[in-house]
Amino acid sequence: MRGTLAGLRAWLLQRLTAVYMIGFIVFLLAHFATDAPQSYELWRAWMMRPEVSIATFVFFTALLMHAWVGIRDVVLDYLQPMIVRVPVLAIAGFSLLAMETWIARMLLVS
Amino acid sequence: MWPNNRESQPVFFNLLRIEFPVGAITSIGHRVSGVVLALGTPVLIYLLDASLRSAQDYEWVRALLNTAPVKGLVLLTIWAFAHHFFAGIRHLLMDIDVGSSLPAARLSAWLVNIAGVGVALLGGGMLL
Amino acid sequence: MRFSIYRFNPEQDSAPYMQHYDIALQPEDRMLLDALVRIKAADDSLTFRRSCREGVCGSDAMNINGRNGLACVTRIVELKEPVELRPLPSFPVIRDLVVDMTQFFKQYHSIRPYLINDEAAPQKERLQSPEDREKLDGLYECILCACCTSQCPSSWWNPDRFVGPAGLLQAYRFIIDSRDRATQERLEDLNDPYRLFRCRSIMNCTEVCPRGLSPSRAIEKIRLMMVKHSL
Repeated sequence: MRGTLAGLRAWLLQRLTAVYMIGFIVFLLAHFATDAPQSYELWRAWMMRPEVSIATFVFFTALLMHAWVGIRDVVLDYLQPMIVRVPVLAIAGFSLLAMETWIARMLLVS
Repeated sequence: MWPNNRESQPVFFNLLRIEFPVGAITSIGHRVSGVVLALGTPVLIYLLDASLRSAQDYEWVRALLNTAPVKGLVLLTIWAFAHHFFAGIRHLLMDIDVGSSLPAARLSAWLVNIAGVGVALLGGGMLL
Repeated sequence: MRFSIYRFNPEQDSAPYMQHYDIALQPEDRMLLDALVRIKAADDSLTFRRSCREGVCGSDAMNINGRNGLACVTRIVELKEPVELRPLPSFPVIRDLVVDMTQFFKQYHSIRPYLINDEAAPQKERLQSPEDREKLDGLYECILCACCTSQCPSSWWNPDRFVGPAGLLQAYRFIIDSRDRATQERLEDLNDPYRLFRCRSIMNCTEVCPRGLSPSRAIEKIRLMMVKHSL
């Protein structure tokens, strides 16, 4: 497993994605506190501004990578038998990839 | 998974009899809230997708978030988010050697636990 | 004073049980170990390890009212009654309060707890500046009593693959020793999903260390060194 997303890399990824998410969430909360969109049109217009949709896309990408490292940590601790561990990790990984595709189509394609 | 319990060799491992210091509570809360948030992520993406699709769907999402059972889930999510957020910042700071002495870590663990519940209570108040 | 003590004799008992003792203490009994010695005088079947009786040998580590500690440095007056004594959590019980520490020492040995230096030895000794020597403070004092590792949830789930707080504290003790030449190898050895990175910074280790050491901080420093070395 060495050299893959094993030890330090997973740990660093967890931290770097966390830092980005903190920044994005603070920005988002600040926006909603000062200038919350009051209608569908305004909400959509704001979300579809390229800088907002790209920042949101990066946020979800960070979130999904962060979730992968976290889920893997939980599984490595509590699910020891390989016959349980491998399918759970596979389902989690597949779900996260599917969500990434979904979010990309939503924010970048449309 | 559980500490090895070989034949004729018992193991003392009763979690109810083992003390969990405040940092351990913060830590298990971090894990539980992380799982809650991970499970909530597809729901969040779904709601975001719907809110952007059409004015009608946007109104549907707004209405949905105002129903009682959904409010309960929103409240759980607010706690999970707040606890995970604060506990995460605590870890990031401790990783770079800020507040990683035992007294500081105990204090910050208390603050995180209280802030998580506090934000959830505030959120609950606003939802009602 | 009332005690409730975990008993298990593999030759007689099919399962462990708690036995109650009510023992009159003498004024000179100050530490929990003194009380245990008194209990043993009344019931010599009670088994526990002890040796130096002053917190240096690390033999009498046990779970005291839910928290790991050394009986010989635990003040009786600070204990809530009945005092509940159990063997170290998650370690196989050999008898009563005596546990099997094989796994624990295996992990300790796995970090190669000795100086590695192939350079030709100087005539007298490998010198170290006072500043470099100071870096070992808070690390070399570990007595390997296993209080930390036995209270660590990450060690509970993966005792065979996670080195555990005691082993990692010692790993750092050699990583920052200016006389050691295997720093890079040592860091690489710990860089996998289990050996170091099962640590979730829960800090139970630091909470219970009877010597006041901080394995969690040593682990944090190892991670930072890994980051620096990987750049």
